[in-house]
Amino acid sequence: MRTSLLLFFLLIISMAAGAQDNYDVSLISKDLLPYASAVVRNNEVNVEVKDYDNTLYHIKTAVTILNKNGNNIADIVVWHDKTNIIKGIKGIVYNQFGKPVKKFSESDFEDVNAHDGFSLFWDLKVKHYNPAVTDYPYTIVYEYEVKSKQSLFFESWEPNSTTGQAVEKSSYTFSCKPDFGIRYKETNIPTKVAIGTNKDGYKTYTWQINNLKAVKDEPYSPNADKYLSSVRIAPQKFSYEGVTGAFSNWKEMGKWMYDKLLVSRLQVPATTAAYMKQLTDGITDPKLKAKKIYEYMQDKTHYISVQVGIGGYQPFLAADVDQQNYGDCKALVNYTQALLKTVNIDSYYCIVKAGSTKKSPLNDFASMDQFNHVILCLPFKNDTTFLECTSQKIPFGFLSDFTDDRNVLACTPEGGKLLHTPKYTAQNNLQERKASFILDAQGNLSGQMQTVFKGTQYDNREGIIEEAPKERVKNLQKEYAINNMNIEKADFKQDKSLQPVTTETIKLSAGEYGSVNDGKITFLANATNRAHTVPREVRNRRNEVYINRGYTDEDEIVYALPAGYHVDLRPTDVSINKPFGKFSATITVKENELVYKRRVQLIDGTYSKDIYQDLIDFYQAIVESDDNNVTLVKGN
Amino acid sequence: MKKLLLITLLFIGLQHLASAQDFKEGFVQEEVDMQRYDKDTAAHAVYLNEFGNSRIDIAGDDHIRLIYKYHAKIKILDNKGFSNGTIEIPIHNSDDVSEEVTDITGTTYYKDDNGLMQKIELDPKKVFKTKDYKYGSTVKFALPGLRNGCVIEFRYTLISPYWDSFRKWEFQDEIPKIYSQYEVHIPGFWTFNASLRGPYKLTKTTSELERECFTSHGSKSDCSHLTYAMKDIPAFVAEDYMTSPKNFLSAIYFELVEWTNPYTSVKTLVSKEWKDIDRQLKIEDAFGSQLKRKDLMKERMAAVIAGKTTELDKATAIYAYLQKWYKWNDYWGIYSPDGIKRAMDAHTGSIADINLTLITALNAAGVNTEAVLLSTREHGNINTLYPVISDFNYVIAKANIDGKSYYLDATDPLLSFGLLQLKCLNDKGRVISLDKPSYWVELSSLQKTSEIHTLDLTLLDNGKIKGTITNYYNGYNAYTHRKAIKKFNSVDEYIEDLDAKLPKIKILKSNISNLDSLNQPLGEILEVEIDAFENMNKARLVFNPFFWEKRTTNPFKLAERDYPVDWGMASDNRMVLNMHLPAQYAIETPPQVVAFALPNNGGMFATNFDSHDNEFSFSNITRFTKAIYFPEEYPYLKELYNKIVLTEKTDMVFKKK
Repeated sequence: MRTSLLLFFLLIISMAAGAQDNYDVSLISKDLLPYASAVVRNNEVNVEVKDYDNTLYHIKTAVTILNKNGNNIADIVVWHDKTNIIKGIKGIVYNQFGKPVKKFSESDFEDVNAHDGFSLFWDLKVKHYNPAVTDYPYTIVYEYEVKSKQSLFFESWEPNSTTGQAVEKSSYTFSCKPDFGIRYKETNIPTKVAIGTNKDGYKTYTWQINNLKAVKDEPYSPNADKYLSSVRIAPQKFSYEGVTGAFSNWKEMGKWMYDKLLVSRLQVPATTAAYMKQLTDGITDPKLKAKKIYEYMQDKTHYISVQVGIGGYQPFLAADVDQQNYGDCKALVNYTQALLKTVNIDSYYCIVKAGSTKKSPLNDFASMDQFNHVILCLPFKNDTTFLECTSQKIPFGFLSDFTDDRNVLACTPEGGKLLHTPKYTAQNNLQERKASFILDAQGNLSGQMQTVFKGTQYDNREGIIEEAPKERVKNLQKEYAINNMNIEKADFKQDKSLQPVTTETIKLSAGEYGSVNDGKITFLANATNRAHTVPREVRNRRNEVYINRGYTDEDEIVYALPAGYHVDLRPTDVSINKPFGKFSATITVKENELVYKRRVQLIDGTYSKDIYQDLIDFYQAIVESDDNNVTLVKGN
Repeated sequence: MKKLLLITLLFIGLQHLASAQDFKEGFVQEEVDMQRYDKDTAAHAVYLNEFGNSRIDIAGDDHIRLIYKYHAKIKILDNKGFSNGTIEIPIHNSDDVSEEVTDITGTTYYKDDNGLMQKIELDPKKVFKTKDYKYGSTVKFALPGLRNGCVIEFRYTLISPYWDSFRKWEFQDEIPKIYSQYEVHIPGFWTFNASLRGPYKLTKTTSELERECFTSHGSKSDCSHLTYAMKDIPAFVAEDYMTSPKNFLSAIYFELVEWTNPYTSVKTLVSKEWKDIDRQLKIEDAFGSQLKRKDLMKERMAAVIAGKTTELDKATAIYAYLQKWYKWNDYWGIYSPDGIKRAMDAHTGSIADINLTLITALNAAGVNTEAVLLSTREHGNINTLYPVISDFNYVIAKANIDGKSYYLDATDPLLSFGLLQLKCLNDKGRVISLDKPSYWVELSSLQKTSEIHTLDLTLLDNGKIKGTITNYYNGYNAYTHRKAIKKFNSVDEYIEDLDAKLPKIKILKSNISNLDSLNQPLGEILEVEIDAFENMNKARLVFNPFFWEKRTTNPFKLAERDYPVDWGMASDNRMVLNMHLPAQYAIETPPQVVAFALPNNGGMFATNFDSHDNEFSFSNITRFTKAIYFPEEYPYLKELYNKIVLTEKTDMVFKKK
């Protein structure tokens, strides 16, 4: 009895092993095919920490490419640098029946520098290869090893972060000596970790996930890390490029960064310190002092990113920036901090995940890989001001949509603190326009309009303001969908106070704005701010509706109508009020004056997925309303 | 439009003139004091002076090299000009040799916080080199200590093994230049043609003889020393719908005509005339030799053309086979250095690998096929005054079947037989074959694109509109539309997405025809239900007959243009709407019936309307008969679009009887 049971087990295991290596495409479950251009048959990631300066990654992937759209998933990309060394790559291509047709190895790979699109230099390199198969479907199976000479961070496991890709099986095994402590964070993982010991006596942590369907893009979804599966791992003690340390929470991590990476970088030459004193002489309010110094820094420096070795985490010396006048976000924040220190203003170096999509670090899991930018915090009494130090023109205290409304980690001498950056509300993010136009009997339009931009809309015109006058006009013509718009004059004013405001004034004319036909003049009531797109419908939506940032747009246009004409056809007024937004468009006619008013407000927040159809209807109503014509006829 | 001017042939009329030279290096008070550039007050930076010097000489490693020295001084007027302080120098390499940048120096002169003059030098450790792709890298550095009003000065030397592609010089840049000068020193062993592009004239050209400037292993020669300079060059500003800025930028180009090996005295005629190029290409391993591999292709194509009798059938079969066989590896060019056999075995190759395979395969099958060298749109126009082989970066096939020419590019699996991508529709192509002299062929007006939309709709009593929308795409539009559909994993997923993007329109049924029959028009029949009117209690209903594809703004905004509008091809777009109304409605306002035309049959927009009882039929046509419209035609083109927008703006009104 016992023997036969054992035999049965062995049989199952060997059958399973056999099945694993069979890459016949017909074995893929039909359930995994919808919206998939590729199916990961099996992905095994093994991370073995041998020592603080020796971690071995072994990655084995088998992925079936179903059609041409999956080709980019067949791109094999392996990052490497001086700390992370590739130990070998090899692979095989199988045809749809699971028969091997081609082999490849590391020598087939092209090795180039990584490009982030903005750095002058980055020491990260990338080896990449695509096996160029033209018969679909096909399967590529490849494995590679990377030796990492650090233990500060470990690659997270994200089994299905690519849209258009389904996953049959994916697993992640982390192994280390029993005394190497780790913390881990599971997100959307159905089967919890299995902890064990392997034959070398190493402690192992294993996660596995099976049968994940292809992720479909759904507009207005929350951040992907909220609904995708992932496991993050962080060490208790580590070594990185000769720097050692330990942390298990944000407080300790901030303390380690402050002590090991930051505190030694703040010296500036005595002449610069003296000049800062001279510059702020006579100013008593520390905030105004800080503003003076910040503006000096903005005028003097510019952003250039150079990332080499530990320089990925540690700023250039403040004295270097003082001399070179350039640096990346770390260097410029550190430099500003150093300048402020010369006049005894304290500030915090704050690491943040920047980007228009708001992202905060996990409250309960401290790790280095949740950030991509640095800003500076001025902790005045009753008033915390944050400074973006990489822009030469952003107003003092204004963060724009790049780092607003999210948690950041302040690295202070007392340790790390999670702070929240200011939120710009739907009411704050205001674009308010008033236009006064004359429409003549030939349909020609002339007049002027003034628009103010506030909150995160403050920098709507930043690109245009930078241009030469001739280019400004070209770009403004693209901004406004007024047919035949001829800009006679365009002026911009920027008030860089704590609540910054941009004001745009345009004098314009537009021949044949209205279409004249058979004694009638037809024109678009909304000349200035029309919406054109409606979010697409989503069948069987799975994500909640998330509006990342709210805004308000107000337009008021007064048209002086040509004498002798009256309104024959006009759109009906619209007023919509939903939890996530409001829209109204009205027309009033008084003698020969027609006043068009439009207001759109979108309110940020997370809403039930059931309201998604309402959101589509909302936008559809706006697009239709914006497309409405007014028709004038002559006589009574 | 091409302003190509042959300035000088070397070794003609040499005269001794005062020797030109590099400008003086170092701090100049007036330059740092300068507040603005009066000739372009909008400029954030301006070249005060720029100097380049190229010579063919013996480098330290005893090889013949092209040695290029560059020196520039730029005034940074304000902080928006700081990006001009970051210098990027692209360099190239082959498998065994590489270009190199050496002797980089940089200095920034500025007034410090206390108003004192200062200078700061570039730290040589802060010069970086990144590998961009197999054959290219970039050397980069950022000048230190930039401030508003500073002056930067930098120099470098670039040593290149590719002396056959002599360094060009761009007088014009995105920022203005006060003075720009280029000097070349060419030993008598070499002869180059020089040509100037762009609208501006040289303000200085001199030539002089340099005695014994080239010596190597007992071989000596005099040099021709030529100087070209321009003053007050405005910044270059690009326009929409234009081809490569290269076609319009003021620059001087050099082409190798012949050279004599200094050691063996063997003379090589490189590009005197097209017949020389023809001969050279025919024996070139990476070109002509590949075209001769007919036996290899005969063997490989035998099964593909089995049973096919006509040349056209054979050609379409081979074309489709190779389209499917190959995956383009993103490399361009006209040569196949590793050969077509290796490329075929790997299923991947460059533009040349794939299309040389195609040409050879077609010839092997008895279909007379020539190669066409061309320059893609972003690569710029061709010099037609004399042959410049480096002008070309792309090769396609020209199959001659029954008196007709088919232009073929097998690198894209969605192109129908005889269709080219927009990037190839540029200027002229040079047709090369193994047995005939080469000749030019016009590419810019080679193909057309058209589409027709037929809408058969009925307005129902409940305010909905039901019916079918039939779209047919021909030529290039069929290609782009196929590409859009193929982005989805299946036709169902495409239709689902289309439906999702049109919230007012429900697609009840659909049929896509000829999706994979690339040589047929692509058809799309959609059975739709449209939520047109919320209620039918109104006395008047407003309806826009252009709702399916309405143009609301004029794409042309500029009052006038300096450069042509280049669309690459002629186009024809038609729409026919047949509509039934409920019995109780009549047409109060019909759509506008108009006809507008461009001069010289350049294009038109016209509408037609017809109605009886509760039915009407409305059609319109937009046609552009040319690919390129010159600046003098631009006002008409702009006005035609204005009329289109005005016409399409007008709604119809249906009135309750």
